[in-house]
Amino acid sequence: MIGGTAPTRSEASAQVLVFGAGRRLGSTEAMVDVDLSAQGGVITILGPNGAGKSTLLRCLATVWLPDSGSVLIDGLDPRHESDRLEIRRRLGYLPQDSGLAESATVFDVVDYLAVMKSVGRNTRHPERLRRLEVMELLDLVGLAEQAAEKVGSLSRGMRQRVALAQALLGRPTLLLLDEPASGLDPEERARLRSILGERRRHATIIQSTHLTDQAAYTDRILVMAEGRIRFDGSPARLAGLADGTTWIQPTRPVDGSTRTFWETSDGHYRCLGTPPAGAETVQPTVEDGYLLLLNS
Amino acid sequence: MSGDLRPPPPPDRPPGPPPGIDPQRIERNWMAVSAELFAPQPSRVERWLRRLSVPPSATRLMVATPALRRAWFLALGLVVLIGLAGADSTRTRQDLFALLVLAPLVPVLGVSMAYGTAADPAHEISLATPLSGFRLVMIRSAVVVACSVMVLAAASLLTGAVSPLAFGWLLPALGLTAGSLALMTFTTPRRAGSVTAAGWVLAVVVARNGSGDPLAAFTAAGQISMVVIIGIGLLTAYRRRDRFDLLAAST
Repeated sequence: MIGGTAPTRSEASAQVLVFGAGRRLGSTEAMVDVDLSAQGGVITILGPNGAGKSTLLRCLATVWLPDSGSVLIDGLDPRHESDRLEIRRRLGYLPQDSGLAESATVFDVVDYLAVMKSVGRNTRHPERLRRLEVMELLDLVGLAEQAAEKVGSLSRGMRQRVALAQALLGRPTLLLLDEPASGLDPEERARLRSILGERRRHATIIQSTHLTDQAAYTDRILVMAEGRIRFDGSPARLAGLADGTTWIQPTRPVDGSTRTFWETSDGHYRCLGTPPAGAETVQPTVEDGYLLLLNS
Repeated sequence: MSGDLRPPPPPDRPPGPPPGIDPQRIERNWMAVSAELFAPQPSRVERWLRRLSVPPSATRLMVATPALRRAWFLALGLVVLIGLAGADSTRTRQDLFALLVLAPLVPVLGVSMAYGTAADPAHEISLATPLSGFRLVMIRSAVVVACSVMVLAAASLLTGAVSPLAFGWLLPALGLTAGSLALMTFTTPRRAGSVTAAGWVLAVVVARNGSGDPLAAFTAAGQISMVVIIGIGLLTAYRRRDRFDLLAAST
């Protein structure tokens, strides 16, 4: 759990309901019959490339509509224009390719998107409040010192933090983050966890990632493969799938009872499957459970 | 998203609040000061628009139109040069041909460079904001058309032609822009712009071959048909405005 505390559910967090949602991309079924219900907490979608993670996030972000089934955010249906715009008022979205203007300064990029999000509107000093929020968010993601630098001069991790800052504009009650930890070093990932830990008190946060260690800190994990949700539960439950089926041996496995294995840094082999007689099983991790699920 | 930035960096943060002062309040004040220092200064165009009572948030959206970049201004300049070079030779009615045919393509090119994934690096992020895609594309199109019309009108005056025909590109420019916007609800902005441009050149050639007059497309009948296209184009774009709110499936 983020921050080591129990999840605090707030009335302000957006309610997400998805019923039988499907989406085709050309001849490919990118998302098939997805059901999801969520309100509050941090939910992580794990899955290999092409599993449908980004498709689901784009449908939740209302930039794509499902071909079949429904998506409802706080009871609002994005197929209707007025509902869609209302959902977007509650939304913070970090797409996989955030594509920030390289020639603009960090402050300028976030401020421009704050204008588009109407941050500070209907207040006495809209411009001043908007700028203040931009600066506070840049400080939150650790980029206050770089506010006047051009985006093009930043490292990949810093750009990702700029993109995260824009997603947090307007205190969204639904935060959708597609690979937010991409390009972040361990220290930056810890900062991301801390930010999400604070925001989850007021928002439903759904993120996708390839990093199982990042998923282990969240409240709930969805595993997607071939467009379908294959698992929905807590990190402990996902790890528990590999209980009794994870072992370490000094030699490369050769029999067919091992579903998957990899060489560890000390030259041993971590194996998943049916342990051979005499093998000593070890405590499984979220990654063990995830790999076992995908290889089952 | 361009804008001049005041160069001096903020002074070093004070070591700590004086006794009895809420540190959070100090922090917030510090943020407010930093925000004002880092805030981009409005460009000359932005200040000019504000003087015309355009709200500051709208001016920021207008000056950040992605089409307002070097490539499009070069295209605009090229059209003006070609138009002026053609008109300078004998000052006959036919000398306006190059300007009249090319000028309507300038805003079409600008609009195709103003919206969509290929034009705007932050397109997907901006789609997920509460600003309607239709409103944004209309703001950006208005900026592009206004810039085009101002420059091309000046070019028309420079041709020295006294005939109103020197401004015969205006309605085709608006018509093609509206047509391009309508097509953008069916396909990508780049493809919509290309189809519109190709259709326009074809229409000019067909009109010329049919009547023997190179400027047949710019007669009263041609201009009236452009007014009809403006109406149909804008109506189609409005009725299908949902498409501006959604990401292309191929993205």
